[in-house]
Amino acid sequence: MAKKLVVKDRERCIGCYSCMFACTRTWYEAVGIEKSAMRVKNYPGVEGAFSVRVCQACRDPECAAACPTGALRVSKRGFGVELVKELCTHCRECIKACAANALQWDEQEKLPIVCHHCGVCVRYCPTKVLAMEEVR
Amino acid sequence: MYRMLSVDLTSGKVEEKEVSELFRTFIGGTGVLTYLAMQEITKDLDPFSEKSPIYFAIGPLNGYFPSMSKTVAMFRSPLTGDLGESHAGGRLSLAMLSANVHVLRITGRAEKPVYLSIDDDSVKLVPCSSLWGRSALATERILREKEDHRKGKKSIVRIGPAGERLSPIAAVTVDSSRHFGRLGLGAIMGSKNLKAIVVSGSNCPELKDKRSYQSLYDRIFQELIGSENTYKYRDLGTAANVVPLSKIMGLPTRNFSQGFFEGAQGISGEYFADHVLAQQISCAHCPIGCIHMGVLRELFADPHMYKALKTSYDHELIYSLGSNVSVSKAENVLKLIHFVERQGWDAISIGVVLAWATEAFQRGFITLKETEGPALNFGDVETYLKVLENIALGKNEFYRDLEKGTYHCAKKYGGEDFAICFNKNEAPGYMTGPDAFVGYAVGVRHSHLDCAGYSVDQKYLGRSEDIEKEVRAMYEEAVWRVLTNSLVMCLFARGVYTPQKVVECLNAVGFDIDESKMNQIAHTVHGMKYSLKESLGFAFADLTLPKKLTSVYTSRGKMSEADFKKRIEPYQRLVEEDKSLASRAL
Repeated sequence: MAKKLVVKDRERCIGCYSCMFACTRTWYEAVGIEKSAMRVKNYPGVEGAFSVRVCQACRDPECAAACPTGALRVSKRGFGVELVKELCTHCRECIKACAANALQWDEQEKLPIVCHHCGVCVRYCPTKVLAMEEVR
Repeated sequence: MYRMLSVDLTSGKVEEKEVSELFRTFIGGTGVLTYLAMQEITKDLDPFSEKSPIYFAIGPLNGYFPSMSKTVAMFRSPLTGDLGESHAGGRLSLAMLSANVHVLRITGRAEKPVYLSIDDDSVKLVPCSSLWGRSALATERILREKEDHRKGKKSIVRIGPAGERLSPIAAVTVDSSRHFGRLGLGAIMGSKNLKAIVVSGSNCPELKDKRSYQSLYDRIFQELIGSENTYKYRDLGTAANVVPLSKIMGLPTRNFSQGFFEGAQGISGEYFADHVLAQQISCAHCPIGCIHMGVLRELFADPHMYKALKTSYDHELIYSLGSNVSVSKAENVLKLIHFVERQGWDAISIGVVLAWATEAFQRGFITLKETEGPALNFGDVETYLKVLENIALGKNEFYRDLEKGTYHCAKKYGGEDFAICFNKNEAPGYMTGPDAFVGYAVGVRHSHLDCAGYSVDQKYLGRSEDIEKEVRAMYEEAVWRVLTNSLVMCLFARGVYTPQKVVECLNAVGFDIDESKMNQIAHTVHGMKYSLKESLGFAFADLTLPKKLTSVYTSRGKMSEADFKKRIEPYQRLVEEDKSLASRAL
């Protein structure tokens, strides 16, 4: 069975953002973090605590259900989503629908940023916060 | 394309300018800023005047390669009158890149307190009188919450009350306990009524040749997370220095009276890690994770009401607020650091001030009349907290003087012989021998990080001196660091980024450069810096060794004023060559 990305041990996070750089680099051939499909967030006022948000790899994704045009749909893998760019009307309903607040938005392209569960972020995490796990 | 954003706080006017040519010529960071500062920072410029500029810059590798995670600031130092330069990590370099701002230049003075908000193309001055007086820590909490709607990662750069009071040893704090610490940038922001700068953006520059870039990136990344070169920083951090330095009599103790600290074990990197270390964190895009956060649990009401203070520690702070004031418990060092963090002083400078004041009190230069009560004793942490509080309150003239720095105080109250300053800047935490002291004196920013004299000293432990070789080693290190500071790289990655690797990285981002050209630029900028410094009043001939340091025992024994001068002269000769190179280049 295919594997999905999970947050294995959040408290180990040092906030280096190497994961987000890896994601942006791999899928957008760009430098930065804003095009990453995942987020490491620091909270206002909490020194050194990071919230790590990744696509939840739903089998019945809220984001896809909310898409009025079918642009965002369940991935062929059977979990998570894929995007048919041409059908997207940039309405952001998908973003609002994700209760985990995990789906990210590309401000420049006005498109959701889909996680491919490729695991490149896992490879660059120096403290093993992230992992790939069998989907059951 | 490299871009400079200029903001005039007086008129609110914002200007953009392309500075790609400057980056091609001087690489970026400190190189570009030195050139810009030469156009604007002149002898007659009052650091607190409206015209006085603050510059921040990143370099061409920030964002592109790991641990290229610093930002450099340049200004005229209100502490020394000389060129001010300071470096900080955090998320600022990433935020500047994301906002497509490679150089930020700030001039003018806002009528009332403001913070400068930069979010992609939106640049605003936001009134913030209600933030004036808030601690450096509270200011970050408030602004992070207030600006939480922003999409991009924010970097929050701010001053505490020390900067508002124009203390020339006030720092600027960046994100989680990173600082533009040295030489008084905080006071310049204060003089401009600029409480904070919030930077974010969504720019992600595209990669041109991803395949070769990726393989270079991976080689560097693997080394950073796994090699011996960075092990110390991943493990105990710079606090690992404490015990080894004390063992070789190189850890300044009780205002540089000796280099052995009998309480070193209690403030060692090992003790901190075993007893107070809560976690390690890192700057954006640095996998090393060197920021060591200590947590101090304090009972504040019986029977079990606790509070917890989270504060970062490092060697320099442990020296300045530990051994040098004879505080031998890690928990007490954290208490002092926390107070200093909130006020926003440079932790090195304020520690040296406390050490000087204690000795001045013991020798009778300062009396109970000045202190209005407290008797100053080395090791007395409760009194030190009281003194810091009195400074924060501006309780009387003496306390207001203390935050003007050691040099100022010694001139006024006496005790210049034991005022441990070099070119008016308080000394960092190494008394390993002549090269450390000479390095503080001759360095471009009078920091131990300019030419790493402390490291040269340690290579010569137990060997006979070789002045020519030692001076050359320091000089070569200083020139190389001009280059790394132009990138702007974290020095903790210096073992990984060899000159050859830096060339590969620069080539990968489109610079047509080789080692010899890079070297040429480093020498030129080095020369430019000294020309500028000298135009502001710096002179090698005026450099002196604080008298006390001629009678103390360092790791390499005692040194005389003559030993000091013997090293300054050849260093100056080497600098002269760079100056003439610079004058030919400009």
